[in-house]
Amino acid sequence: MDRVKTGIVGLDTMLNGGLLPARPYVISGPTGSGKTILSAHFLLEGLGQHEPCLLVTLDEPPIEVKSNMATFGWNLDRLKILDATPDIRAHKRQRSVIDVGTALDVRDMEDVTEIRQSSGIRALEVNVHSVQKMIKQEFAHHLERTKERYKRIVIDSMTALKMFSMQGQDSRVLTQSFLRFLAELESTTLIVSERLDRKILETEFFLSRGEIRLHKWVDGSVVRRAISIEKFRGSAFDDKMRPVSITDKGMVVYLDGPAQTRVASAGPIAGESLLETRLIDEVSNVIESVMKGIEDAHRRQVPIRDVEVSLSRAMLAFQRRNYRKAMKIALGCDSDLKERLRQAPPAPPTAIPPRPPLVAR
Amino acid sequence: MTAAAKIRTGIAGLDKMLHGGFVPGRPYIVSGPPGAGKTILAMQFLREGLEGGERCLFVALEEPPNELKINMRGFRWNLDDLDVLDANSDIRRFEPTPILEISTEEEPIKVRALGDRIRKTPDFESKEVTVHSLQQLLKTLLLKRNYERVVIDSITALKYFCMREFEEAVTTQSFMRYLAESKVTSLLTLELPEEGEVPPEAFLARGEIRLHKLRDETGIKRFISVEKYKGSSHDEFVYAFDITNAGIVLNTAA
Repeated sequence: MDRVKTGIVGLDTMLNGGLLPARPYVISGPTGSGKTILSAHFLLEGLGQHEPCLLVTLDEPPIEVKSNMATFGWNLDRLKILDATPDIRAHKRQRSVIDVGTALDVRDMEDVTEIRQSSGIRALEVNVHSVQKMIKQEFAHHLERTKERYKRIVIDSMTALKMFSMQGQDSRVLTQSFLRFLAELESTTLIVSERLDRKILETEFFLSRGEIRLHKWVDGSVVRRAISIEKFRGSAFDDKMRPVSITDKGMVVYLDGPAQTRVASAGPIAGESLLETRLIDEVSNVIESVMKGIEDAHRRQVPIRDVEVSLSRAMLAFQRRNYRKAMKIALGCDSDLKERLRQAPPAPPTAIPPRPPLVAR
Repeated sequence: MTAAAKIRTGIAGLDKMLHGGFVPGRPYIVSGPPGAGKTILAMQFLREGLEGGERCLFVALEEPPNELKINMRGFRWNLDDLDVLDANSDIRRFEPTPILEISTEEEPIKVRALGDRIRKTPDFESKEVTVHSLQQLLKTLLLKRNYERVVIDSITALKYFCMREFEEAVTTQSFMRYLAESKVTSLLTLELPEEGEVPPEAFLARGEIRLHKLRDETGIKRFISVEKYKGSSHDEFVYAFDITNAGIVLNTAA
């Protein structure tokens, strides 16, 4: 099947050629990790192929998007941009609050010159319904004018859309409906979403057909970035985390760069104490070292099945966030295993020489 | 129960972990975070049934059937005779138009007859799937077609999108109860958050197979464990598995 290229060479390789067409995907990551830049690459690639592309912006006014992208020297003039940023909310009670759907504002990027002023009399309310209606109208207009369907759509961002208009219980149903709507358009869609809490299962993450995750963390005094594919329905993919940098030409993914380690626990995760974070770090180090030891033992044919069984318990305890218990079991495994390996005969000469056992920090 | 009376899951290593397979006629849960391989496992379960000439039903609540068909092409499994019920709700209407509940007359479509493009929401009406209508529909279908294996993908979608006016915990429980009474062997997929609490649905079935997804510097590592299995002994160990061209393959060589 034809793949839809993202416009970032390394990412396309990770995706086994690109995204599968006509499906919605999620781009996730913390603020400043490069989600909008990645989507701009995706749109730029489309424009280069003479495909109609639409950016629905909810976070930043078009003029800001335009000037941000100009710093990379990209020409996004032919991009259609749909301004769904909410107006300054009028505080006075008004007779009519019109929603955005009735005041469609789609422009070519080249016509974007200034920020739209909030109307003095009526304020634009943004909600899922109005955004959906806007996209639908624009889709129909475009089809009528040019006999072409939009091939690529970016929604930037789902987080904003949810914050503006989906606070009720219906937010799951509205998100489901919105994703269904996007899927029925049969465009390849990128939905930008900030993951707010790993413990909560957000609808768009399991309904989307794939998730590309951007990572950003501080390592000493430098900011490091990486990219990973967490889910990709219907395709094989590169499951390693790859280093990323943002250069003056945009985002670059390095496929042969050094392996990334310990990203998940690099910074304190919101809501967790520093102590717990350190404990998580240490447990995962021990588990990792035991796993390496087990590999080693297999190679040297040392029987260690009981160690494997208790390691599996440690991992389960870890997953259930029972870190103390996990630590206890994992340390037991570690010392057991080291003892066993010490007593065992050295590896047969044909095998790869065993790596030195890793010592837990 | 002896291994002979159990039915096979379609994954050799998993059968071994379950000491033979599933006790037939009961509901089971496959849980795991997004991208762990739940749908693939469920497909292998159905494929095993199809190969033995059983009637099998896949109830799709997360993915449109056309995409499911395309996604499974890579495995080169013969799923032509699998029935797929499209239980994805349409785009919701915001105007006060009548909402049609998914009809109890709705028919599953065989995989071989599935088209390549997504079904479109009609202009003037919108189909909504509620847990109530789905249960009615399943009842009719099970009577009429005598399914032996049923997959619900996923119970999370059912809970999130189809229980608007129902109390979630009680309704989920009663849905599982219905499946147990219907005497069909069913597999329900359950989405887990990446960390933290396991949702309560996991505890309602007769057994839970959990897929784990851990990331380290070599990439994503996948593991499988049997968390619970009523009425049978099972393997306590957690095994690593890979998703290959032949689907899920357990690393039981160790």
